[in-house]
Amino acid sequence: MTARAERAAPVRTRFPFPRRGAVRLTFGLGMLMLVLFAFVPAVAVIVVSFTDLRGLTYVPTLWVGIENYLDFFSPARAADNWNALRNTMVFAIVGTVLQMGFALAISLLLNRPLRGRNFFRAVVFMPTILGVTVGGLIWSLIFNPAGGPMQSLLHAVGTQSAFFGDPRIALGLVIFVHVWMQVGISVVIFLAGLQAIPAELQEVASIDGASAWQRFRNVTFPLLAPSLTANVLMGVVNAMHSYQLTYVLAGPSNRSTQVLSLLVYVQAFGGESGTSLSQSQGYAAAIATLQFVLVGVIALATLFYLRRREARL
Amino acid sequence: MSGFTRRQILTAGLGLTAAGVATSTAACSSGGANSDSSAEDPSGELSIMVSSANASDSAFEQVNKDFQEKFPDVTVKFTTVPNDTYEASLSSRLTAKNVDIFVAKSMSIPPSYAEGSEEDSVRLALAGGMLELTDQAFIERFDSSVLETITLEDKLFVVPTGLSYTTGLYYNKDIFEAGGLEVPTTYAELQEVLSSLKDAGTTPFGIGGKESWPAGLYMLAAVEGLFPSADAKADLAEKLWSNEVKLTDPDLVEILKRVDLAYQNAQDNFAGASYDAVPGGFASGDFAMIADGTWNQPVVDAAVDGAFEYGYFPTPMGDDAASNDHLTGKVELMLGVATDAPNQGAALAWLDFFSEKETYTSFIETAGYSSAQPDIEQSEFLESIAAYTEEFSTPWSHYWFANNKAGQDAAFPFNYPGVKPLGSGTPEQAADAAQKAWGGAF
Repeated sequence: MTARAERAAPVRTRFPFPRRGAVRLTFGLGMLMLVLFAFVPAVAVIVVSFTDLRGLTYVPTLWVGIENYLDFFSPARAADNWNALRNTMVFAIVGTVLQMGFALAISLLLNRPLRGRNFFRAVVFMPTILGVTVGGLIWSLIFNPAGGPMQSLLHAVGTQSAFFGDPRIALGLVIFVHVWMQVGISVVIFLAGLQAIPAELQEVASIDGASAWQRFRNVTFPLLAPSLTANVLMGVVNAMHSYQLTYVLAGPSNRSTQVLSLLVYVQAFGGESGTSLSQSQGYAAAIATLQFVLVGVIALATLFYLRRREARL
Repeated sequence: MSGFTRRQILTAGLGLTAAGVATSTAACSSGGANSDSSAEDPSGELSIMVSSANASDSAFEQVNKDFQEKFPDVTVKFTTVPNDTYEASLSSRLTAKNVDIFVAKSMSIPPSYAEGSEEDSVRLALAGGMLELTDQAFIERFDSSVLETITLEDKLFVVPTGLSYTTGLYYNKDIFEAGGLEVPTTYAELQEVLSSLKDAGTTPFGIGGKESWPAGLYMLAAVEGLFPSADAKADLAEKLWSNEVKLTDPDLVEILKRVDLAYQNAQDNFAGASYDAVPGGFASGDFAMIADGTWNQPVVDAAVDGAFEYGYFPTPMGDDAASNDHLTGKVELMLGVATDAPNQGAALAWLDFFSEKETYTSFIETAGYSSAQPDIEQSEFLESIAAYTEEFSTPWSHYWFANNKAGQDAAFPFNYPGVKPLGSGTPEQAADAAQKAWGGAF
């Protein structure tokens, strides 16, 4: 074989393990789990959206065609749906922007040689470990209108608030707690990205006389673009799916904080107490399917935009 | 490697996975029927699930303890679930066949004009998911007039635990006496009392608005005051379903205006206050009155702890005294047995034990319920309101069947969550939103 032919031939790397069986088995099991617990339920949700399933034994389930979708788009539900859609979009956009902003600032700070850096990194990540219920409980107590610490603070400056009971600020407070809980994950991803940037590049920029801002704008930020893409995408998808925190902080019936996922929950599991409304998992499945399309379109559009931006940077 | 062939590894892997899935599935389902257990000689594990309330939870726990003393071969597994998640939990446990006795939310069949609006428990019972109790001997211990209100197609599927009154106000007698105030009997008198209390620097009402439904008690009282008879309420419900009246009609907007009066006279930031915190505020003298059901009287009593005398009177939302001379009530937690109950024998034995006079008397005393059985001694508090409860009448929620195709603003259908500060509108705007959510469903 000539040298040219050797160069043109595809490079065949040797399989690094003695047998392929174990790899196939582990990957196969992983795929099986994914299909069983993710793909099958996802398809089942679409099928269920064409039924009147109520999730009660003995009660028959009937095929209702597109009735659930027609109900969703009926004038009677327009106010509920627009309200939930608006809240979802505000939650996703504002939540993600704030999360990225804070996470970037914190990770830049924690990437510097600080005393107690690891401790601060742990502190920033701690809210993520606490989980929704504990985090929600903490902030419910802090924002308790009957004598919570935040109310005492407001009293000291001559004002007061109903916090999650005030429709004007309830969503903003939920977003704040959401960012507090999620920022740790974004910081970890940004820190990983920052540590992958070669120190020589920063040094060269410094020698060339670049200011701190110029180094950040022209060196750090472009090389951090893949981390930003991953973070934004995860942030948007997470924010659009999130309902647990809203439920814990403001309850299932609070219109000012009701997001699409919460609407699905209330419909599917009868979360609205005090009414004679029955649960309807078929209708909830229809909302979930529409939400899936919405999240999919937004996630893909975001990914497309960020990838193009990465290439430009 | 001398070991296994690829086929063997794959087969073993798939076998392990299948075994794991099967084990998990089995672990999630029933523990199996107790074939030796019977109503006469119960044994094994008995699972009871109820929607949670402090007083009734304690009462059930005492019954369970006494039952286990009488039948030591039975272990009662008692679960309380918050109201908001009760339906979902019940659905899961019925499917898994691991609950014997549970609380059914409603036992009312909607009239023909609201066909299809049955609640899930009614659908479950009519579909055969609940054991028929009509011929059980313990049923005879209950008041026939109460049983009548929870009978489905001449069949009984539940046992009533008691009755509660929902449209009254607890009031601090010391504050009233200090201000020289009388119990108001008309809407005009109520307005005067509220005005006097405010002038004296006292907050009239305490409301737990975070959960929304406590504010709905004022809505129920307002409907009762303006449509006091059973016929008037039934007629209103039918006319709403047939769209002969609209939620924006002035006499219906008036309901929300009267709810708004309560909101205007409630504690600051009540929209964010929790229902559980309200009895404590009442006990501390933070407000003079709270709208609450008689089911919560043991909690209120414990909070007040003898610091002052308190009373209970119908919320006077009607214009004349005759409209406000009674309390409306509901049948409290209704207990049914699942058809697929793993321990049906023990379940029937428990219901029999529960309805025995001694057990039942102790239960309603702790739970704060009025009796659903004749000849049972009532608590001192319930005796004090006997003048308002001579005839058992039911509130608006008994006549109203929500339309599942309507929007959330029309669920009650008087949109009290839409009025400021719970919502963001005036009574007129909230009524308009409700009418859009209602009218669009037809």
